[in-house]
Amino acid sequence: MSASASESVSPAAGGGVAATAAAAGAALLGIAEAVGAMAVLFAKIVRTMARVPPVLDYHELRRNLHKMAVKSLSIVVITALFTGVIAVIQAAPIVKRYGAEGLLGWGAGFATLREVAPLLTALMVSGRVGANNTAELGTMVVTEQIDALRALAIDPVAFLVLPRFIAIVVTLVTMTLYADAVSLLGAAFAGLGLLQIEPRSFYNGLTGGLLNFGDVANGLAKSLVFGLVIALSSCHFGMSTTGGASGVGRSVNATVVASASGVFILDYFVSFLLG
Amino acid sequence: MSATTESSPASPPGVVHDIGAAGIDLFLAGRELYGVFVRTLYYVARGRREKGAIVRQMYDIGNRSLFFVSITMGFIGMIILYQAGIEIKRVIPDYSLLGATYLELLVRDLAASLGGLMLATRVGAGIAAEIGSMVVTEQVDALRMCAADPIDFLVVPRFVASMVMTTVLVVWAGAVAFATGAVTANVAFDVPLRVFCNMSLIDWGDVLTGLAKCVAYGAAIPVVSGYCGLSTFGGSEGVGWAATRAVVNSSLAIIMLNALISTASLLAFGATGMTP
Repeated sequence: MSASASESVSPAAGGGVAATAAAAGAALLGIAEAVGAMAVLFAKIVRTMARVPPVLDYHELRRNLHKMAVKSLSIVVITALFTGVIAVIQAAPIVKRYGAEGLLGWGAGFATLREVAPLLTALMVSGRVGANNTAELGTMVVTEQIDALRALAIDPVAFLVLPRFIAIVVTLVTMTLYADAVSLLGAAFAGLGLLQIEPRSFYNGLTGGLLNFGDVANGLAKSLVFGLVIALSSCHFGMSTTGGASGVGRSVNATVVASASGVFILDYFVSFLLG
Repeated sequence: MSATTESSPASPPGVVHDIGAAGIDLFLAGRELYGVFVRTLYYVARGRREKGAIVRQMYDIGNRSLFFVSITMGFIGMIILYQAGIEIKRVIPDYSLLGATYLELLVRDLAASLGGLMLATRVGAGIAAEIGSMVVTEQVDALRMCAADPIDFLVVPRFVASMVMTTVLVVWAGAVAFATGAVTANVAFDVPLRVFCNMSLIDWGDVLTGLAKCVAYGAAIPVVSGYCGLSTFGGSEGVGWAATRAVVNSSLAIIMLNALISTASLLAFGATGMTP
């Protein structure tokens, strides 16, 4: 769909400035079209969710939750552990410069809970879960399984998209909680190993009163928003796959790019809104 | 993996069994990955030269990622500065070293690592999807029939192009993140641009660390994703799976290389930045 927009514009372009402007316009139209399609998909999902009696397939939801959440736990834990260590390594010169050893726990906690853990978990989950989901849906599209569902009068949004949507959002929020805990653990031990800061004083800095549940809730609210973005983009690009095996590859590529851009752009606005 | 599922009916698999199977899988994958890396290096030195292949890949990897990298790094710069500003306000309301510290962090780590993660997402998935669909349509087998090693033909141009363009894009990404950070500091916390643009904390250790990260990530992304693409099997589902694995494994590779290089630089240039 987006290809038709770009193809109709590019032949008209002569060269130089005109070609650049045409390419930029076509890219903008493509982005607008993808965002619009995701909004339409979101509206469909909400409408399906609100239907009485509920149409959610619990078996499909459980299967997806296991595949997405349980299976990505190891990757999230490894990433979080390394991230905590890296954060302390990077903070080490700053901490020494100001002689603020007691504040390391607070600083690591602030950065991890509010930004680092939600962001990096979102990136890893978008890579593992979002891309995988797109590949699965895209394969169903190119092998005409979705058409078969429609022929049987089964709504693909209710049967396939809704359980995946819920599963991705739940996965991201729970994985963020794990990442919070594990990366703080990694940071505490990196502080002990590199800066000779006792874990006890790290813990005191963490719980000394400057941080409260609001910071954790801030990060969780963000991961909820990121989950929506990842779920929508992966379901949208999966369902709009065209053209064989290379089409599936292109969809996966488009999903990870759209998820990463969406996550960072929305992160800014959510940070600003929550303050 | 198939061995795991076959042996499970005979003896119920326990935790030790699962860990052992995962360990063996990891070891085998690591050995194959190492093989791809060594062969890539060999062909970089001794392989044939195809005219224009590297330039085409440089355009694909570099120019076409420019927009994506600029957008994401621009927003990252704003977020970091905004959060750091709030944090500093709670402890010491002194913004005089904010820009210098931010620039030091960008040069030493953030520009390379966050830019590298972005590139792993876009470039890694692209490489694996492209090579993977060549594998499932048997084009790679056709190459082997012509006595052309697919690594020489497919991975090497991407390897060279990625090393060059990752470095270029990371420098650009750092510049974008610094610019948006400076604007945020000016608007949200009233830090004058003249105070913010302070290069006094940067020394050669920081620059070397940042450049080492660029080169390491630029080498890791095409090797890991090329390996994922070449080991594709099955039809269109396999291609999607290869792209997924490429994104996850390149990101993991970047995070691990980051921990490694950061530790090495802390040990080598331990005293850097402690003299204001």
